[in-house]
Amino acid sequence: MESLDPRVNRLNLSTTELTSKAPLDQLGTYEVFSQLKEDKPYFHVGPVHAPNCEMAFLFAKEQFSRRQTCTGLFVVETRNIKVSVFTEGEDTVYNYISNPGELANGNTESFELFHLKKRGKQHEYIGTIEASSAEVALSMVKSEFINDKPVYNIWIIKTSDIESSQDEDKIIWDTLPDKKFRDAIAYKAADKIKEFKERQ
Amino acid sequence: MYGGGNTFEHIKSNGLENEDPEKLAQFEARIERGEKIEPNDWMPQLYRKQLIRMIEQHAHSEIIGALPEGTWITRAPGFKRKLALMAKVQDEVGHAQLLYSAAETLGKSREQMIDDLINGKSKYSNIFNYPAFTWADSCFISWLVDAGAIVNQLANARGSYGPYCRALDRICAEESFHLKYGHHCVIHMATGTEKQREMMQAAINRWWPPMMHFFGPSDKISVHSEILMRWKVKMGSNDDMRNQFLDMYVPKIWELGFTIPDENLRKNEVTGRWEYTEPDWEEFKRVINGDGPCNKERLAVRRTAEERGRWVREALLAPKTEYVAPLA
Ligand SMILES: [Fe+2]
Ligand SMILES: [Fe+2]
Ligand SMILES: [Fe+2]
Repeated sequence: MESLDPRVNRLNLSTTELTSKAPLDQLGTYEVFSQLKEDKPYFHVGPVHAPNCEMAFLFAKEQFSRRQTCTGLFVVETRNIKVSVFTEGEDTVYNYISNPGELANGNTESFELFHLKKRGKQHEYIGTIEASSAEVALSMVKSEFINDKPVYNIWIIKTSDIESSQDEDKIIWDTLPDKKFRDAIAYKAADKIKEFKERQ
Repeated sequence: MYGGGNTFEHIKSNGLENEDPEKLAQFEARIERGEKIEPNDWMPQLYRKQLIRMIEQHAHSEIIGALPEGTWITRAPGFKRKLALMAKVQDEVGHAQLLYSAAETLGKSREQMIDDLINGKSKYSNIFNYPAFTWADSCFISWLVDAGAIVNQLANARGSYGPYCRALDRICAEESFHLKYGHHCVIHMATGTEKQREMMQAAINRWWPPMMHFFGPSDKISVHSEILMRWKVKMGSNDDMRNQFLDMYVPKIWELGFTIPDENLRKNEVTGRWEYTEPDWEEFKRVINGDGPCNKERLAVRRTAEERGRWVREALLAPKTEYVAPLA
């Protein structure tokens, strides 16, 4: 097999029959959340696969914050996200959440809450709650964070399960404004076309 | 669906008689109302199967599509072009990541999809089985192949499956850079020296037939997928997509003083549709079934990367985490 590309030829491509590959691509799953501006809430941007939290964070940074602006990013293992039931229409998830009884038993942890407020869109950060369990946290949100708009689904994450950027990490996004070459506006050429047509 | 061709399996029996009629009616009503279907919602088997197939092929096309352009990075003329092309290729590989994840939410594992690309079971967009001889070919791909992809992707972003639509929204935002960058490259060639114009015209001549194949077989011969249209899996017929592309880009090619190698190409002002010489669908079939100029090379490059990078992934195997399907 002779390629037009000298670099491909130097690779000395393997030419054996197509066979199955070694099963090495099933890395762990993480969900990524990002904040575009300081005063904006974090929202879910998508998943990444990685062998550990640190690599998931680095991958997420490349995948979801290489353009425009970013002021914060965090990843959490997908299996550590508690997902509520889903509702539809005007029915809110909070209709299905009951008070689990004893609210405070001394040992509390913090939990991050995310609401799905529009079907088809992403989950958005709502608030942080101190509670003894995810279930208790849910029952507390009911009184603290909801208004009359329906919430279709809730994600709840233990804060300690999150790998998040810190204030001093924000410099990783300092160079974003210099990367104009990643944006369409850097490739204006209307003048060139006009000039070309005039020459014809 | 990077290219519309051969994306859907021929539906012999749609299997709908095995689905719960009440749930099916609710599902169809939801789509009719314009609501998105989410991973945990009820969906017919056929919907799931065809979506996996389509999204997976789209993901493979991003990976394989990065190869012909990727090899031009070191030979791109000048620092700015190298920087831009590198950014574009990175985007394309990123698109594959987003798309694999969307397909995973439907239940096919990432492992299986990547394996099916390497073992030759899955298809990818046929156009990437053609070679990029010169820098002008790379310019053609960046502008016009991406333009074709954008026609498909914008349509599919209005489809019914939530995770695919959200991935496509991110992808389309990045594609606008690809399109502008590619157009910029072609304009530069068009307004350059005589030699540059010749190179660009030669690239257009080479790529026009595969570009016409890009949207898949003509509606006259392709399987009608009425049900997939109703479910908003397929958002337009192959001919509609092709017509949209011609309508948007033929004038832009002509504007730069280039010709298109089809003497029958013209817009019928009465019907509003473009007329052209029927593309060679036999060649299309032959190439998609493995006998194109670059099929072997593309898969061999991918597989060599897999084999030679194996030690890295072995070193990464740290079973502290768990693979599960992404949430949304
Ligand atoms: Fe892409
Ligand atoms: Fe592309
Ligand atoms: Fe692209």
